[in-house]
Amino acid sequence: MDRIVFESVRKIFRHRPALFNWLGRERRGETIALKDVSFSAAAAEVLALLGPNGSGKTTALKLISTMLLPDAGAVRVGGFDARRDAGKVRRQVGIAVAAERSFFPRLSARENLDFFATLDEVSRGERAQRIQEVLRDTGLEEQADILVMKFSSGMYQRLGIARALVKRPSVLLLDEPTRSLDAGTTAHFWATIRALAQQQTTVVLATHNFAEAAAVADRLLLLHRGKLLADRAVGDGESAEEMRAFYFRMTGEIEEKICNL
Amino acid sequence: MTSTLDKLYAILRRDLLTAIRHRSGFIVTLVGVFTELAAFYFLSRAIGPGFRPDGVEYFPFLLVGTGIYTFFVMSAQAFLSAVQEAQQTGTLEVLLTTSTAPAELVILSSISAFSGSLVNLLIYLFAGVAVFRASIHANLLSCAAVLVLSLAIALAVGIAAATLQVAFQKGSALLWLLGSGLWFLSGTMFPTQSLPRPLELLSRAVPLTYAIAGMRAALLEGRSIMAMAPTLAVLAGFGAVLLPLALAGLSLSLRRARQNGTLSFY
Repeated sequence: MDRIVFESVRKIFRHRPALFNWLGRERRGETIALKDVSFSAAAAEVLALLGPNGSGKTTALKLISTMLLPDAGAVRVGGFDARRDAGKVRRQVGIAVAAERSFFPRLSARENLDFFATLDEVSRGERAQRIQEVLRDTGLEEQADILVMKFSSGMYQRLGIARALVKRPSVLLLDEPTRSLDAGTTAHFWATIRALAQQQTTVVLATHNFAEAAAVADRLLLLHRGKLLADRAVGDGESAEEMRAFYFRMTGEIEEKICNL
Repeated sequence: MTSTLDKLYAILRRDLLTAIRHRSGFIVTLVGVFTELAAFYFLSRAIGPGFRPDGVEYFPFLLVGTGIYTFFVMSAQAFLSAVQEAQQTGTLEVLLTTSTAPAELVILSSISAFSGSLVNLLIYLFAGVAVFRASIHANLLSCAAVLVLSLAIALAVGIAAATLQVAFQKGSALLWLLGSGLWFLSGTMFPTQSLPRPLELLSRAVPLTYAIAGMRAALLEGRSIMAMAPTLAVLAGFGAVLLPLALAGLSLSLRRARQNGTLSFY
């Protein structure tokens, strides 16, 4: 059975101008973030969501996590509908969002993880050990007891990943997870993703990094202006360059190299 | 499975650690308590011993009125600030993707916010009695009953402010109303009987009026639970209506924010 099912999902954001906007240029309107998008993901599969800014990648992740609700169509996780059984969906999903500062600044990394693990209903007996594991996996062991207000961008990002992992979700959602990470941590993180997939975790990864998609993904979904342009397997040994060429061919965008000629 | 008590402990611990690590904030609060008490003490002395509203000395009258009023406003403010801060940092979205149901999360978070204000109220009353010699004749059981029922109403006010914040990003509007309109309608600094008849009738529709009057009767006059049954019944009635309404409103506004993608708007 597919673990994630997106069935003709449509998401529209409606904009209302501010009340006193007579002098401004803000107008009423709407943005169609996803247009009848359908895809599915099985257990142990790693999906890379590719697409330019505003293509709907983050919206797709937020819909799976129940942060957003679809306007039409259905999102199901582990057989549960994200609208009707949001609680059951949330129990299965861990998400690392791109917002770096979504932590409590005057708590340490360990205290933050303990707090979120408690709300994620990780039992008291297991919490300390799991937190230690994710701190090690994300390279934060030495900074575990430092208040997170003193963290750098990269450390925040690692902590976000640790928070998503601590509940041991069956579906892991990652929004540009290695954007601020150094090369060594990135390589270690990619290995962690592959190891999680071997343990039957479904991973959905929104990224602009072709090397990342080539290194970890089994399948890639290409979104463009809210539409699903491609849904295909990543070929054996497919390189980042091949993926990049595919991306530009499909989206019709002009490659940077060509622009510079 | 993690129990609700575990979650409550986690939230209380988070808020306590945040408060004590914010050392200057803690000290400023304490200084504020003593400054306010000193101002009311000297005001009551300036007015003189002849003014005995509801038959009690003016300073204890002020002590209870301002203490309960501040408890209501501070509690709602603390809870609203927590929601606003969570929206600004993006924590709110993440919290609402945890396995804890949003309603449970909101109630536990508000209990924590209100615990801080409760400690503040106890310090305020204790300092008023111990340092500024306010005379009291407390019936502790009646005090506890008034406090618990007032807490339910204060919770409802805090949750309503959070609802307005999530729905229209205007939670502070309710606090503005509470801060500017209700203090003089609720008998905080003078008896409501001094108000013109229409305003006096209006004051009877304000739950805070009963919370303040109830606490004065329990703490300053030592009235028994039985003697206070009518006031307690009114407070219970307000709580029974306002709390479910506020929770339903918040649940609706969270769902609407998820639908519209405005959960992190502030």
